[in-house]
Amino acid sequence: MSESVVLQRREFLKLLGLGVAGAATGCATPPADRLIPYLVAPNDTLPGVPYWYASTCRECSAGCGVLVKQREGRVIKLEGNPEHPVSRGGLCARGHASLQGLYDPDRLKSPMMKDASGAWKAVSWDEALKLTGEKLGVARGKLALVTDNATGSLHKLAAGWAAAAGGTHLVYEPFAYESLREANRRTFGQAVVPHFDFARARYVLSLGADFLETFGSPVAQARGFAAMRSGAADGVFVAVGPRLSLTGANADEWIAIRPGGEMALALGMARVILTEGLGAASGDRGALLDLVSAYTPETVAEQTDVPAETVKRLARAFAGARPSLAVAGGIAAQSERSVAMLAAVNLLNVVAGNIGETVRFDRILNVDAVGSFAEVQQLIGTMGDGRIDALVVHGANPVYAVPAWAGFAAAMDKVIFKVALATTLDETAERCDLVLPVTHALETAGDAQTARGVYSMVQPGMQKLPMFDARPVGDALIAMAKAGGFGGQYPAAWSDYLAAEWRGLHQRFGGGRDFDTFWAETLRRGGLWEDAGALPVRWIGAPAFAAPELKGTGDLALVLYPSPALFDGRGANKPWLQELPDPTTKAVWGSWVEIHPETAGRIGVAMGDPVRIETEAGSVELPAYLYAGVRKDTIAVPLGQGHTAYGRYATGRGVNALNLLPPAQDDASGAVAYLCARAKASRGAKAMDLVRTQPHLHQADSEIAQVIPVTSLMATLTGSHGGEAGHGAEAAHGAPGSMMLHPMQSRPGRYTEPLERSPGAKNPAHAVSAYEPHEVVRGPRQVPVSEGSYAHAQHRWAMAIDLNSCTGCSSCVVACSAENNIPTVGPEMIKRGREMHWIRIERFEEKVGDPGANDVRFVPMMCQHCSDAPCETVCPVYATYHNPEGLNAQVYNRCVGTRYCSNNCPYKVRAFNFFDYAAPEKETFAFPEPLNWQLNPDVTVRSKGVMEKCTMCVQRILEGKGNAKDEGRAVRDGEIQTACQQSCPTQAIVFGDLLDPESNVSKLSHGDRRYWVLGELNTRPGVTYLKKIQRESA
Amino acid sequence: MNRALAALLILVTLAAATVALSQSLNISLLSSKGPQQPIAFSHKIHAGKLGMDCLYCHYGADKSTIANIPPVSVCMGCHKLASTDRPEVKKLIGYWERGETPPWVEVYRLPDHVKFNHKRHVKAGVECQKCHGKAEEMDVLSQASSLKMGWCLSCHRQQLDDKNFPATMDCVSCHH
Repeated sequence: MSESVVLQRREFLKLLGLGVAGAATGCATPPADRLIPYLVAPNDTLPGVPYWYASTCRECSAGCGVLVKQREGRVIKLEGNPEHPVSRGGLCARGHASLQGLYDPDRLKSPMMKDASGAWKAVSWDEALKLTGEKLGVARGKLALVTDNATGSLHKLAAGWAAAAGGTHLVYEPFAYESLREANRRTFGQAVVPHFDFARARYVLSLGADFLETFGSPVAQARGFAAMRSGAADGVFVAVGPRLSLTGANADEWIAIRPGGEMALALGMARVILTEGLGAASGDRGALLDLVSAYTPETVAEQTDVPAETVKRLARAFAGARPSLAVAGGIAAQSERSVAMLAAVNLLNVVAGNIGETVRFDRILNVDAVGSFAEVQQLIGTMGDGRIDALVVHGANPVYAVPAWAGFAAAMDKVIFKVALATTLDETAERCDLVLPVTHALETAGDAQTARGVYSMVQPGMQKLPMFDARPVGDALIAMAKAGGFGGQYPAAWSDYLAAEWRGLHQRFGGGRDFDTFWAETLRRGGLWEDAGALPVRWIGAPAFAAPELKGTGDLALVLYPSPALFDGRGANKPWLQELPDPTTKAVWGSWVEIHPETAGRIGVAMGDPVRIETEAGSVELPAYLYAGVRKDTIAVPLGQGHTAYGRYATGRGVNALNLLPPAQDDASGAVAYLCARAKASRGAKAMDLVRTQPHLHQADSEIAQVIPVTSLMATLTGSHGGEAGHGAEAAHGAPGSMMLHPMQSRPGRYTEPLERSPGAKNPAHAVSAYEPHEVVRGPRQVPVSEGSYAHAQHRWAMAIDLNSCTGCSSCVVACSAENNIPTVGPEMIKRGREMHWIRIERFEEKVGDPGANDVRFVPMMCQHCSDAPCETVCPVYATYHNPEGLNAQVYNRCVGTRYCSNNCPYKVRAFNFFDYAAPEKETFAFPEPLNWQLNPDVTVRSKGVMEKCTMCVQRILEGKGNAKDEGRAVRDGEIQTACQQSCPTQAIVFGDLLDPESNVSKLSHGDRRYWVLGELNTRPGVTYLKKIQRESA
Repeated sequence: MNRALAALLILVTLAAATVALSQSLNISLLSSKGPQQPIAFSHKIHAGKLGMDCLYCHYGADKSTIANIPPVSVCMGCHKLASTDRPEVKKLIGYWERGETPPWVEVYRLPDHVKFNHKRHVKAGVECQKCHGKAEEMDVLSQASSLKMGWCLSCHRQQLDDKNFPATMDCVSCHH
């Protein structure tokens, strides 16, 4: 019999099924797919090859450099631009998710106008512009333009536009650093946000500044912070504040100060430094001492609940480590006396000699044009008086983000004609009479000057999406001006305006190149940057020092803080960010109130129970999150949720806590006071959900997140191998060099260590296998890696994750979702434990809230690619197996969905497709058009009934190996980066080849701090963790 | 009674299997003819008679995972002048002048869970004909190989020990 005629059992069954199916459906054959080629292929463009465009992230004022990855004309991913002076290669979660702003299915499809009944109806651009022209022409002189902090040419256009129309231009950002700028103006004569150089600091004191999440330039600061913490010798970080934020969780010590007490602490520390003569020598020491003389440690203790001894200890440590850095911001800098508080911190930095060292005035954040809240109020006033006839809004959402007491919405309603230049119908656009769809930053040319000396390019990664009839905002503004009769000075198109602006820069930076060459080279690099000389600063004097008083009658201080994922609310329309577990509470798709367990007990609520919060301005009900990281007299609520518009993903989730704010402003800068209210908390009425991905934050004795005291590390570094358990391994296996030869088998881990348990001690609860720990070291496997079926393996891919660098920011989680087509499944699914993330950040609170050390540990957890993987042995269909290069692989088309592998995985890193998240006809479809444009064509979109998990980005490995083959060389170390590694602002994740003894991952995996999670299970993972260095702050 | 039921069941099953088998044979017979394309493009003329290199039109095959379908502009590179009087070329010119692209019917289709890389195979010296058959002899392009996994692996197995381009048997190389 010839081979083709033999029917195997499987094929027979398939045929049988096919026949029955065919009979049932009337023998229909599926329609053939069509292949549509280019009409004319763009130059140097090949289908199947990714192209990268350097651009700038526009999700916040920081303006990190990004590389935009494009495949077949679609932008599919953002990565940090390693050459950009701001971010140097990292990118935060919000930056990654800007893709979902581009592909938001609820983006505006065409211009829309409100008819008489208030319903939207679509109009053409011509009609819309004609109408706008008429209205703006009439409203000249009584016109206002509100934008976000666009900077660069677009800002110049907007400012000029408003001036030409005889109107006002307001740059609105909810977190505008107004108090910080005002404090710096009064104390240093420069109204700027300084550049905080964390990398140079040897001791950091944060007074409320969430510098790893939302304050300043988080990616750059995280990078500097990790650099500071990489040294074993110093780099202590003390966080001060009534709430322990994500940033605070990284601190060695948390000073749970009374809300509003930060100023007194800073002044008290300054006084100790001055009186004890610890600080930098300074001529005006006497004058400075006069300012702080009232703040003796004992007075400070009374005002702040920080013991006098602690004040002295902090001051001595702060002055002793040079340079040190005190940075204030966040909630502490948003009270009614925040300028005084920030001036006090400036004073502390002055007496410690940090100005010009760690508090630098060179590469300062560009928020120069951002309007103060006084300007917002002025606009509200003029709108309310009917002195504004036309309002144009772009990029800002003041109706949502201005606290209700200021009355923006009501005043806006009095404006005769309101236009929004928006991508989505947010709260502000919804109140307008006309909305004009504008293009997203990823499909628009532009530029941004996000920091001093940084001229960053915003390069479109693709042509504008065809389903949205949108125009670049620059073009829309120019067209509106021309229609209104005040646009004579503008060129026809925004691109010409932009080019004209860059001709000016060409003259400064061209260096003899012609403009086209200069332009092309600048585009390729992502911008141009010059060394920014420092602004001259000197101590001028301090404003009057006074502590804020909270309003209202409750017994709890209300702390509102910007959410690390949603920021001021602009992230809420992006499902990746909604589904990103909050780094503190691990909650998703909603908002909550953080309340101390004791306080919660007092009002009788448990985790997830409804809490009613009342201030004099209003009340909300929120699920309780019991958190020892808030003071007993404080409750904290994240901002960013509670949208009433802004698309399907944002609308109707959680509450907008801004409604709780009574009217309050900083008395010097006029900034909105977010820390101003007392609140009452009681048990709420309606049951609500607090959906969390990690139900408990204690690791018991499982030793998942390990630390090494800095003293032990110092001891090992200096050669004496005492202190750290786990070093017996090397002695047991001979010299470290011999281990390098057989890395798959003989890497030391806890399983090879002689266990020293006292008689009768029990195994850890999870060690339920037959493996009985005993004193004899379990030897390496008999078959060395150089023999057997994997003898020809060229690589052993592995990862080393430095827990000392991981800040828990969760950028990697979103990067992984983007790279690997991971669906978002929504709160209902997550409640049932069906989240699909391939990587999660586990949070373990070892010691939070007690006086003394603070110990929160973050562990990025993904498939460990075990050498002895428990999942592989239980798969009945061989869908998960070990590949020759050490990867634990998952073959989707082979998986039949028994889920045995997930049951047997001790790390719980496998995700099962309970539903068809990829099928458009299903209710669970996770990629409604055009979100599906974002899908990575190199990765299979998994279907229902299939198990999936981290692949160590095997598609990137294959690409890297292919590139090396093309060039006829071996793969270089560091050439292949996984998505999580690439996005990590602190470079905590290192990927590479363990068979290369010189690779970075080999060195780290054999280093002093290495360990394997659940190593006693003998799974011998490919992911090695490096213990967090535990410092003593005292 | 039971025997009759069993016999009935067997009969029904056999009937279904026969239908299935004939259907699958039909499909394979059909595919040997190849689908009708919007323009009756002949590989026999271009690749065979004229001896054009495959990579002249499918220029992505050695540079990309995807061997591209040539842009219409590539066709028009010659057909602005060549054979402009032929009816099929006129069709092409019609598309070009209307600014449209012919909706070619896909002949070689891989499921979404298979990631095939043309570049790697071309660079390893695998001839186009190995998978795509003698296209230069086909007037109407038809599927020359099953594209089933067993068929892929039959070749990969033979190349395992190739000195320069050892083939892989690793599942994730294609399924990821």
